[in-house]
Amino acid sequence: MVNQLKLLLLLVSFCCVTQIVQAQQLAQIKGSVLSETGELLKGVSVTTIQVGSKEKLVATTNEKGLFVFSNLKAGSNYNFTFTYVGYQDYSVNNFLVNNGENNSLLVRMKAASSSLSDVVVVGYGTQQKRFVTGSVAKVSGQDIANFSGNNFAQQLSGRAAGIQINESSGQPGSNAQIVIRGIGTLTAGRNPLIVVDGFPLTEGTSFNIINSNDIESIEVLKDPASASIYGSRAANGVILITTKKSKSEKFSVSVDAFTGFQKRADNVKYIDAYDAATYFTEARDWGYVSKNPANRSVTDDRATRIAKGASLRELPLNYLTPYLNKEAGLVNTNWVDEIFRQAPINNINVALSGGNNKTNYYTSFNYFNQEGLLLNNGLKRFSSTIKLNTKLSDKAEFGITLNPSYTSQRFFNTNGGFNEPIGAALAMYPFFKPYNNDGSLAISQQIVANTPEDGALTENPVATLKLIKDNRSFFRLFGNAYMNYTLANGLKYKLTIGGDFGQSFFDFYNPSNIGAYRIPAPKPASASETNASITNYLVEHTLTYSKKVKKHDFNLLAGYSYQKENNFSTAVTGDNIADDNVSNIGGASTFSVNPSRDKWVQLSYLARLQYIFDEKYIASFAYRTDGSSRFGDNNKWGKFPSVTAGWIFSKEAFFPKQSILTFGKVRATWGRSGNNQIGSYGSLAIVTGGNAANNYVWGNSVAAGFSANTTPNPNLSWETNTSYNIGIDLQLFKKVDITAEYYKATTSNLLLNVPIPQQSGYTTALQNIGELQNKGLDIGVAASKINFGSIQWNVNANISFNQNKVLSLAPGQTQIIAGSVANIITKVGSQVAEFYGYEVNGVFKTQEQLNTLPKLPGTLLGDLIVKDINGDGVIDTKDWVPMGAYAPKFTYGFSNTFSYKNFQVTFSLIGVEGRKVFESNFATREESGEGFAMPTKYYFDNRYHPVNNPNGFLGQPNYGNFSAARRAVRASNLFIFDADFLRLRDLQLAYNMPSSIISKSKITNLRVYVGANNLFTITKYRGYNPEATPSSVLSNGQSTSNYPIARSIIVGCNITL
Amino acid sequence: MKKIFYAVTTLTFFVTACTKDLEQLPVTDKELSKFLTSEIEVEEYVVSTYASLQVNGLYGLYLPAMGEIPSDNTFDEVPANDGAIYGDLDEFKTIAQNGMIADNWRASYVTIQRSNVVLSRIENVPFRVAATKNARIGEMKFIRALIYFNLVQLYGDVPLTINETKDPNFYFGKGRQPVAEVYNQIIKDLTEAIQVLPATTTQVGRVVKTAAQSLLGKVYLTQKKYADAKIQLDAVVASNTHILLPSVADIFSLTNENNREIIFAVQFASGVNSNTEGSIMYQQFAPTGLISGAKGHNLPTRELYNKYMLTDTRRGNYVALTSGNVPFNNKLKRPTIAPTDGGSDVVVLRFADVLLMQAEVENELGNTIAAQAAINKVRNRAGLANTGATLQPDLATAIELERRLELVGEGYRWLDLLRTGKAIATMNAWFISQGRPITVTPKFLLLPIPQNQIDTDPTIKQNAGYN
Repeated sequence: MVNQLKLLLLLVSFCCVTQIVQAQQLAQIKGSVLSETGELLKGVSVTTIQVGSKEKLVATTNEKGLFVFSNLKAGSNYNFTFTYVGYQDYSVNNFLVNNGENNSLLVRMKAASSSLSDVVVVGYGTQQKRFVTGSVAKVSGQDIANFSGNNFAQQLSGRAAGIQINESSGQPGSNAQIVIRGIGTLTAGRNPLIVVDGFPLTEGTSFNIINSNDIESIEVLKDPASASIYGSRAANGVILITTKKSKSEKFSVSVDAFTGFQKRADNVKYIDAYDAATYFTEARDWGYVSKNPANRSVTDDRATRIAKGASLRELPLNYLTPYLNKEAGLVNTNWVDEIFRQAPINNINVALSGGNNKTNYYTSFNYFNQEGLLLNNGLKRFSSTIKLNTKLSDKAEFGITLNPSYTSQRFFNTNGGFNEPIGAALAMYPFFKPYNNDGSLAISQQIVANTPEDGALTENPVATLKLIKDNRSFFRLFGNAYMNYTLANGLKYKLTIGGDFGQSFFDFYNPSNIGAYRIPAPKPASASETNASITNYLVEHTLTYSKKVKKHDFNLLAGYSYQKENNFSTAVTGDNIADDNVSNIGGASTFSVNPSRDKWVQLSYLARLQYIFDEKYIASFAYRTDGSSRFGDNNKWGKFPSVTAGWIFSKEAFFPKQSILTFGKVRATWGRSGNNQIGSYGSLAIVTGGNAANNYVWGNSVAAGFSANTTPNPNLSWETNTSYNIGIDLQLFKKVDITAEYYKATTSNLLLNVPIPQQSGYTTALQNIGELQNKGLDIGVAASKINFGSIQWNVNANISFNQNKVLSLAPGQTQIIAGSVANIITKVGSQVAEFYGYEVNGVFKTQEQLNTLPKLPGTLLGDLIVKDINGDGVIDTKDWVPMGAYAPKFTYGFSNTFSYKNFQVTFSLIGVEGRKVFESNFATREESGEGFAMPTKYYFDNRYHPVNNPNGFLGQPNYGNFSAARRAVRASNLFIFDADFLRLRDLQLAYNMPSSIISKSKITNLRVYVGANNLFTITKYRGYNPEATPSSVLSNGQSTSNYPIARSIIVGCNITL
Repeated sequence: MKKIFYAVTTLTFFVTACTKDLEQLPVTDKELSKFLTSEIEVEEYVVSTYASLQVNGLYGLYLPAMGEIPSDNTFDEVPANDGAIYGDLDEFKTIAQNGMIADNWRASYVTIQRSNVVLSRIENVPFRVAATKNARIGEMKFIRALIYFNLVQLYGDVPLTINETKDPNFYFGKGRQPVAEVYNQIIKDLTEAIQVLPATTTQVGRVVKTAAQSLLGKVYLTQKKYADAKIQLDAVVASNTHILLPSVADIFSLTNENNREIIFAVQFASGVNSNTEGSIMYQQFAPTGLISGAKGHNLPTRELYNKYMLTDTRRGNYVALTSGNVPFNNKLKRPTIAPTDGGSDVVVLRFADVLLMQAEVENELGNTIAAQAAINKVRNRAGLANTGATLQPDLATAIELERRLELVGEGYRWLDLLRTGKAIATMNAWFISQGRPITVTPKFLLLPIPQNQIDTDPTIKQNAGYN
C-alpha cells in the first residue's frame, strides 16, 4: 500500500516536473510585415519550420501587419517564409528563438516582378494579371505614345495579338477600322464596343473625342468570355480605355508637345505629258481603226475620219501635236503632286494633377492640329479632361470625370469619283495647268478643251480643293460621375451616372464659278447645312462583394444598367442660288429638308462570380441579359453567359522551383456575346412616301401616297458570337512573358436580307439566319528590362493567325454577290468576300489567235487572252477562279525599346501577309487601257502596241471601241493585287536630361525626342494605300477611297514639373 | 448623409427601371402597325396603290408589251437589245431568267399587297362620308382583280393572297393556287366592287363602276361565260357614261385625256414633280431615230399597217409612219421636256373595247343583229362602212380583225389569241408567212414563273416545258 502511493507520488511529481520543464521552454515570437514603402501588409502567409524537424506552423498577418507564433521551442532555430500575392517570397533562415516573449521580426517585402501583378481592367472591375483567365490584351498609354499622333486606334496598330487596325483613309479625323479576331458579321455593324472609364460609347463614335495623351492603359477584351459582361454589344470585341489619374499627392504638371510635318507614303505614279500624248493618240487611233480595219487607217486625218463615220472618241485630240513632235518646254503638270502637299502636325498637352489624403484631381488641356495631305484639308481639336476623386468619409467616395472637346474640320469626300479631288486627279491631263499665268486658278480648261473629242471632262482639282467649302465642327462632352459606398466589410455599392452629349454642324457650299464633272463653269451653285445632335445617358448600379476565407478568394458582382440615346439630325439643301455672294444656304431660294430622328434604349442585368482557390485554381462565371428597343417584340431580351477556368500549375508543389520557367498558367474559356448593331427600327415595317414611287396624279395634279416598303419581323434579334478559347501563359526568367491562345468563334443568327416569296409584297426580309466561323491563333512575347551590359532592352512581339468560313446562309441560299463588277462573292463553305476573276494570259496580237483561242464575246485584237479554266471552249463566269480575300492570313507586330544611359531608341514594325485588294479604280480607269483616264507608269510601260511596244502584255489602249470583253476582264487577276506590307510604324530617338542638369530647377523630368511615323513601307502594292477597304464586309477589299496615309517626321518633348 | 444617399439611389433606380422604354417607334417615319388609323392615312395608302400601277413592271412599260409582242400585231426592232427581254417573247425563246417577267411578277404582287393592306384595315377607319369609304373599297378590289386577271392569263396558276403580310416567312411552302380559284376571287372582287363604286368621279383617273363592269365582262368573256358577260357589257352601254368619240384623233390626245371614251387609264403627267410622274414608254416603243434614246420595242408590224383601208381614219392616227416609212404607235404622244417623261396615259379599258366585246358576246350567243350593230358602231366611227359579214364564223373573224385594228398598242392581241384558242395556229402561220423558222409549241401559251422565285421557294413549280 505505501509502495503504491510512493509510485503515484513519483508519477505525479514527474509529470509536474516535466510540465515545469516544458513551460520553461516555450517561446513566443511577434513580427510585422511591411512593404518596401512602409505599408502594413495584411494577409501575408507566414510559415515557420523548426530546423531539423518536419513540423510546420502557419500564421497570417492581421490588419496591422502583425503575426504571432506562441508555441515555439526556446533555444531552437527556425526558418521563416513569407509569401504574399504580388510580392517576392521572403525567407529568414536559422532564426534563434529565445526564451520568453521578446522575440520579434520585422520584415520588408519587395513587390514581385511587375508584369504578373499588373492590374488589368476587365470590365466592371480589375484583376491581377496572373489571375486573368479570359483573353485580354493590355497596352499602356506610354507604349502608344511612341506613335506621335492623337488617335488611339492608329496608335494601337501592331501592339497586341489578335487586333488588326486597318487605316483605310488617311484623312485627318477618319476612324480606322478595328478588327478583333477576324470578321464576325456580314451585314450588321462591325465596330467593337469602346468603353471609356466605364462609359460605353455608341457605335460609330468618332475616335477624335478621346485625347490619347490622357490614356493610362487600353485593355482589349478579345473573347466573348471576357467581353460577355458587356452582353449584346460585345460580339466584335470590347476596348476598355482607362484615363490617367493623379499618381501622388504632390502637385505635378506634365507637358507633352510635338511638332512635325507629314508627306505622302504611297507608290502611285502616273506618266508625264509626252508619254500621255502617245497613250491618248494610240487609244483613239486604235478605237478608230478597230471598228473597220479594212477601210480605216491610222493616217486618216480628222476630216476623213468624220467622213468615214467616226464617233467623237475616235478623233485625234486636237492639241496633242506639239507633244507628239516632242517639242521642249510644253506644259507638263503632275496633278498628283499639285493636289497633295507637305502638311504640318502639332500637339500640345498640359496635364495638372495633385491632391491630398482625401481628394485627388487630374486635369488636362490639349490642342491638336493635323493638316491633311490634300490641300486645304485638315483638323483642329481643343479638348480637356477634368477629373476629381474625393473621399467623403471612410466609407464613401465620390468622383467625376468630364471630357469636353471641340473639333473643327475642313473635309473632303474621297470616294474615288470624278467630283472629288483625288478621283479627279487621275483623269486630269498633264497638258493643263492648275493656275493661269497671272496666278489665278484655271477653271474648266480641260472640260472646254476636251469637249470636241469627248475626252475626260474633269474640273481642276486644285480649284475644287480651294473653292469648295465643306466645314464640319463637332462639340462633344462625355463623362461620368460615380459614388462608391462601403455597406459592410467587403461589400461595396457603386452608382454611376454617365452622359454623352454632342452637337455637330456641317456647312457645305459649292460655288457657281467652278465646274464639276462634265459641267463647265459657270454652273448652278449648291449649298447644304446639317445640324445634328446626340444625347446619351447611362445609369448603373453595381454591388461588389469580395471575401477571402482561408484559401478561398471570392469576388462577386451584381449590377443593373440603363442606357438611352436620342439622335436628331436636320439636313437642309438649298437650290436656286442666284450668286456666290453668300457662300452658304442663306443664298438659296428653294430648300429641301431631310429630317431624321432616332432613339434606342437598353436595359441590362449583370452578374459575375470570380473564385480563386489557394491562388492556384481560378474559375469564373458571368452572365448578362440585355433588353434592347432594337430587337423585335418576340426576342427583346438577350442572354449572354460565360464560364472560365484557369490553373497556375507553376505554383503546384510538384512543379520544380527553378529560375527558367517562373510562372505557368493554362486557361480555358467559353462564352457568348452579341452584336446589336442592326439599326434602331429593323424589326418594324416602315411606311414611307411623298416620293415618286408613292405619288400619283389625278389628271395633272399630284397626290402624295404612303406605303410600307419593309416587312415587319417581330423575331429580329442580335447576332450571337459563341466561342471557346484555350490559352497558356508562361513567364521565363521572371522577365519574359509568353502567351499563346487558340480560339474558335461561331457567329450565328447572322443578320441577312433573305429573299422571300414575292407574293408577300416584298422581295427580302431582314432576318437572323446564317452562321460564320472564325478560328485562329494569337501568340505574344513580351520582355522587359533585359540587360546587355549597360543597354536595357524591352521588347513586345506578337503574331496572329485567323481564318474565317461561312457555315450557312439563308435556306437554299449558297452565295451573296457584291462589288462593283459583281466579283466579290461570299459562298457557303468558303471565306467571306472572296475575290473571283478571270485568269489573264497575254494579249491577242494576231488574227490567228483570235480565230483559234476561246474568247469572250466581242473580243478584238489588242484585248486580253483569258484562260479557259474548265476547258469547255467558251469563256464565261464559269472560268472565274477564286483569288484570295482582304482578310490576311496573319498579321504581326514587333516593338522594341533600347535604353542606354540617358538615351532611348524605340521602334516598331508591323506587317500583314496574305491580303489581297481589288483595285477598282485601276480596273476601270488607270490600268484598263480605255484611253479615258491617266494611266499608271506600270500600265504604260507594259501595254501592248504593235508598233510602240510589241512585247507588252497588258491590253492595247482603245478608246472609241472599248469592247464588252475588256469590260468583263475588270474582274481578273490583273486588278487583284497583293496588298501585303511590312512597315516601320514608328521610330523614336529620345534623350532624358540628366538629373544633374535639371535638379536646379523645378523640373523633375525632361525628355526630348525625334521620331518618325510610317518611315518606310515594303510592299508591292501600287495604289495609294494597301489598307484601303470599304466599311461593308461583303465588299471587303474593294479599294475605291483613295486618301493616302502619311509619313511624318516629328520633334517633341515631355516635361514634368 | 446616409439618408440622402439612399434617397438618391432609390430615385435613380425607379426613374430608370422602365421596361416600356424597350418599345421604340421611329420618330420621323411612320410604322405600319400604327398607320392606317385615320381617313387621311387610308387615302395616302390608296394613292400609293394606284402609284404602284405606274411602275415599269406594270403599266409604266412592260405589261402592254407582254400582251402584244408575242402576237402578230407588234414586234421588236432589235431582238437582242436590252438583254433580249422583249425579243425573247417576240421570237418564242423566253427563259425563266427573263428580266421583264421578273419585274412584272414582283410589281404585280407589290400592288396586290398594297390593296390587301388597305382592305384589311379600312373597315375600322371612320370616314366623313360613307360613300367615299365604299368607293375606296371598290377601287382597291378593282385594282386587285385587274392584277390577278393579268397574272392568271399570262402565267396560269399563281399564288393567291388577299391578306396583309404579318410574317414574311408565312408564304414559304404555299406554292401556286389553281386558275379556277384565282378566277373565283377575281369575280368576287369585281362583283363586290360594282356594288359600291360610284358612277362618276370628280378625281380624274379614279376607278368608277363602269370600269369594274367592263373588266368583269372581259373576265366572263375570257371564261366563255357569254351570258354573264352580256349582262355586264350591256350595263356599261346602258349607263350612257361613255361614248365613242367622233374623231379618233381625239381619243389619245394629250389635251383630251380622260375623255368619255376612256373607262380606266393609268395616269401619267409630263413635267410634274421634277419629271417623276411621266412614263418611259414612248421612248422605249419608238423606232430608232424618232426620239433620243429610242429602242424600237413593241413596234406595230407593217402587215398590220397595211390592213388598214386607205379610208380608215385610224390609219395614221393609231399607227403612223415615220419619215423613213416605219410604222410606229401614234397613240402615245411625244414628250416635250425629257424623252423619258412621257405624259400619255396608258389606257386599260375603253368604250370601243366594250363594244367589240359586246359584239363578240352577242355573236357567240347567236344574236347576229346585235353583234353587227355593235361592231358597226366602231367601224362607222372609223369612217368605214358596215361589216359585210352575216354568218357567225365570218362575223367572228371580222370582229377579231376589228379588235386588232382598233386596239393595237393597248396590249390585247396576244391575250385575245389565248382566250380564243387560236394562238398556236395563228402564230405558226404568221412565222411561215414571214419566212422565219420559228414554231410555237403549247408551252409558250404560258410565260415561265420567274426563276428567282423558284430559287427562293422550290414549292413553286415551274410551268411545263421551261426548265
